[in-house]
Amino acid sequence: MQTLPRRLGVAVIVAVIVVLASIKLDAFRDYQIAEIAVEVTAVAGLTLLTGLSGQISLGNGAFMAIGGYTAALLLMHLNWPFVAVLVLAAAVAAASGGVVGAAAARLRGPYLAGATLMLGVALPSLAYAYPGLLGGDQGLNVAFTTPGFLGATFPLTRWQAWVSAAVALITLVLLANLYYSRIGRNWRAVRDDEVAAALDGVNVAAARILAFVVSAACAGLAGALLAIVTGLVAPGAFTITLSIALLTAAAIGGLGSLPGALWGSLVIVLVPTYVTDVATSNGLSSSVGSNIPVAAYGVVLILVMLVFPQGIQGGLRRILALFTGPDPKTQKPVRPRTDKEGIS
Amino acid sequence: MVEFLQFTLSGIVFGMIYAAVALSLVLIWRGTRLLNYAQGGMAMFTTYVAIEVIHHTGSYWAGFAVALAAGVVLGAACQLTVIRPTMNKPPLNAVIVTIGLLTLLEGLAGIFYGGQYRSFPAAFSITGLKIGTTPLGVSRFDVFVAVAVLVTTLVLAAAFKYTNAGLRMRAAAFNTTIARLSGIRVARVLTVGWALAGLIGALAGVLVSPSTFLYPNSMDTIFVFGFTAAVIGGLDSPAGAVVGGLLLGVVLSYVAGYLGSKGSDLTSLVALAILVVVLMIRPGGLFSAARMRQV
Amino acid sequence: MSSGADRAPGGPAAGSGPAAGSGPALAIEELVAGYGGVTALDGVSISAGTAAITAVLGANGAGKTTLLRAVSGMVRPRRGRVLVDGTDLAGRNPEQMVRAGVAHVPEGQGVIAELTVEENLRIGMMSWPGGLRRTAGGTDGRGHSRAARAAALDEAYERFRPLADRRRKLASTLSGGERQMLVIARALLARPRVLLLDEPSLGLAPRIMTQVMDMVVKLSRENGLTIVLVEQNARSALAIADHGVVLNLGRVVASADARTLAADVALRHHYLGF
Repeated sequence: MQTLPRRLGVAVIVAVIVVLASIKLDAFRDYQIAEIAVEVTAVAGLTLLTGLSGQISLGNGAFMAIGGYTAALLLMHLNWPFVAVLVLAAAVAAASGGVVGAAAARLRGPYLAGATLMLGVALPSLAYAYPGLLGGDQGLNVAFTTPGFLGATFPLTRWQAWVSAAVALITLVLLANLYYSRIGRNWRAVRDDEVAAALDGVNVAAARILAFVVSAACAGLAGALLAIVTGLVAPGAFTITLSIALLTAAAIGGLGSLPGALWGSLVIVLVPTYVTDVATSNGLSSSVGSNIPVAAYGVVLILVMLVFPQGIQGGLRRILALFTGPDPKTQKPVRPRTDKEGIS
Repeated sequence: MVEFLQFTLSGIVFGMIYAAVALSLVLIWRGTRLLNYAQGGMAMFTTYVAIEVIHHTGSYWAGFAVALAAGVVLGAACQLTVIRPTMNKPPLNAVIVTIGLLTLLEGLAGIFYGGQYRSFPAAFSITGLKIGTTPLGVSRFDVFVAVAVLVTTLVLAAAFKYTNAGLRMRAAAFNTTIARLSGIRVARVLTVGWALAGLIGALAGVLVSPSTFLYPNSMDTIFVFGFTAAVIGGLDSPAGAVVGGLLLGVVLSYVAGYLGSKGSDLTSLVALAILVVVLMIRPGGLFSAARMRQV
Repeated sequence: MSSGADRAPGGPAAGSGPAAGSGPALAIEELVAGYGGVTALDGVSISAGTAAITAVLGANGAGKTTLLRAVSGMVRPRRGRVLVDGTDLAGRNPEQMVRAGVAHVPEGQGVIAELTVEENLRIGMMSWPGGLRRTAGGTDGRGHSRAARAAALDEAYERFRPLADRRRKLASTLSGGERQMLVIARALLARPRVLLLDEPSLGLAPRIMTQVMDMVVKLSRENGLTIVLVEQNARSALAIADHGVVLNLGRVVASADARTLAADVALRHHYLGF
């Protein structure tokens, strides 16, 4: 999607498809559309952070929590219109992303993973520490209703699906702009070779922090959407499992790829539901039945990563290349190895 | 003063558990440059195997031994089947694969053994020890835990330093190319590394499960703290793993001890704070070399 | 995996001479190898005379290092044969090639800096079959018991005195010349038939370089080792070599005995820079 008009065009087409689908499908499917849209919003930011700027984060669920709780508190105490709430939630999360990014600017690889993992575990526990403000274990309820102009009989789930999908599509378009901009190029340069990038005049620390800010903003936005869609923010919704699921979705879809964010989100939302359906429809006992989806999900993760090392998007590209010939965009520049042994 | 002693001692005991998990992570990291996110899950699974053996044979030590053996087998099996194919691919692939492995193990445990919390026996008495009339805050079993981990660490360190097998592992970790050119079967060495890590993880599992009860997710928090301990100490340093584990165990013990129930809620935040402080001073952990090795 | 690559190296350590009448110890036929889309070796054929020194020369990028890597198994050849004592071992991995008697001393950082001198040497013996079994000595007097390994170490220290003085020190504390000594000593401990040396004099002071070259000559004359020597410094390589091969852009452009090559001024100017 190299040009803005093309991106907008695709976004509009997808939006139309979503609207039509949401009308045809039942409430549960609408809810799933909303769920997928929430995940896409968060995963898209994460896939840029990890895939494009090369910084692993196991704690983006914490930024979702920040966005979600901000939204819940705003709606509860200030009753702002939801668009303003979404924007502010994203902004607050973005600011915290800046703090985290700055603190983590010197961390690499597993050390960054460890720090963000701990962030993802620790942040939600703030809700337990401040139950008065943050609702403790029970969390905070979020009221969200369909706007008047849609009429009294318009299903809430469909409206939630529309809002979420719209937010996801806008996010994707904005991120695509970033992807192809100088900022995106700087991120890739920093990821591939920090020293070379610095010599080229790229401010490495600033680029890395900006990546965190962007991914946190997306996650915060997604968290606010989640609050609206589920009607509740509680620590149990933002566990470390969520952070890990986001990273998993990004990798499975194809790290650094925005379409990949969609594929990955589809996998993490639909596969567990599908497997649970199969298990319960076969009448398996509850402990076995509720754990088969868990085990199956694990198998899916392993298999996809082994079969498609570049993720689903990479796999699709390879399949496409079989028909159309190699894609010049994906050919890595060929240079002989220059490792310790030298080259002759 | 007595409280301080109690909190310190029980902190050391838990710290040794974190150290054991950290050690197994360091072992795998040094050998293969991978983080095994399934380490806790593998330990959980072997502990389930142990408890089945204990129920069927009535012998704790039989279960203990089988758990360790299962750890070896599970570690080697995982490396041979799903980890090896990720070796020359982007590192994040291995991360996802180990996460998938973790999920798979937790699901399998739920399927085979059910999801309810199970109690796990302790090898020795769990009544608190006393000096005179002063309770020490730790039991005979706790002492066993600390000693078991310490002995394992020392044996491992000695094996690494003084045996040919240990030399092979170190050579393969420091310079895979030269190791291969010298005839070291690096692939085999890597499998042994994972098997050892599985052993240590299994040990941690049986040692900690009497306190935490056993259920499919019981090792998750232990893993997170063990990972944190490894990061604090520096992922290339086994000594760092032990120091990091003890530091974390002791500090968290003080927090939970002196701050009561509020403290328990704050443990992960405190751990995060420690982690941030250490990493801001030394981004590679406490024992990282001043010169970062080219990976 | 055929048994050929796993048989015990029939090395010349015990003083046995080169196998007579079995053809060259190392013969490379039409070898094609490269990295990704680049072909670095484009049909190279070289015959390394048994117990002789064959110098492989050429400018940077000519394919010299790739050649050694393709022989030792670090790079998998695309086509061609690598015949060690008549058996084709192309495509075997490095662990197998060492056991087949081919030791490769790579260019640059050849020691494991984080290990001690003695540990680096012990690694050289990792390819010996038998591991730690305390078996009695074999027919060539070289059993694989602990005693045999200790004896081999002593022999190495005897020959390379500076290493003996530093045996417990970290390899990172050695000077350039000492490191090269260590690397060669380690390779010799594998009891190879064929020794592949990649720029052994790189980065060394001229005096040390001479010592290294003298060592290489001794290895071939006294131990009967077949040596393939890749060198940028063509002059000093040709001075000690028996045979010379010049590579350019992955092809052999000249192959003759060393004296003839050294005397061919036009060739020297064109391909070797002197």
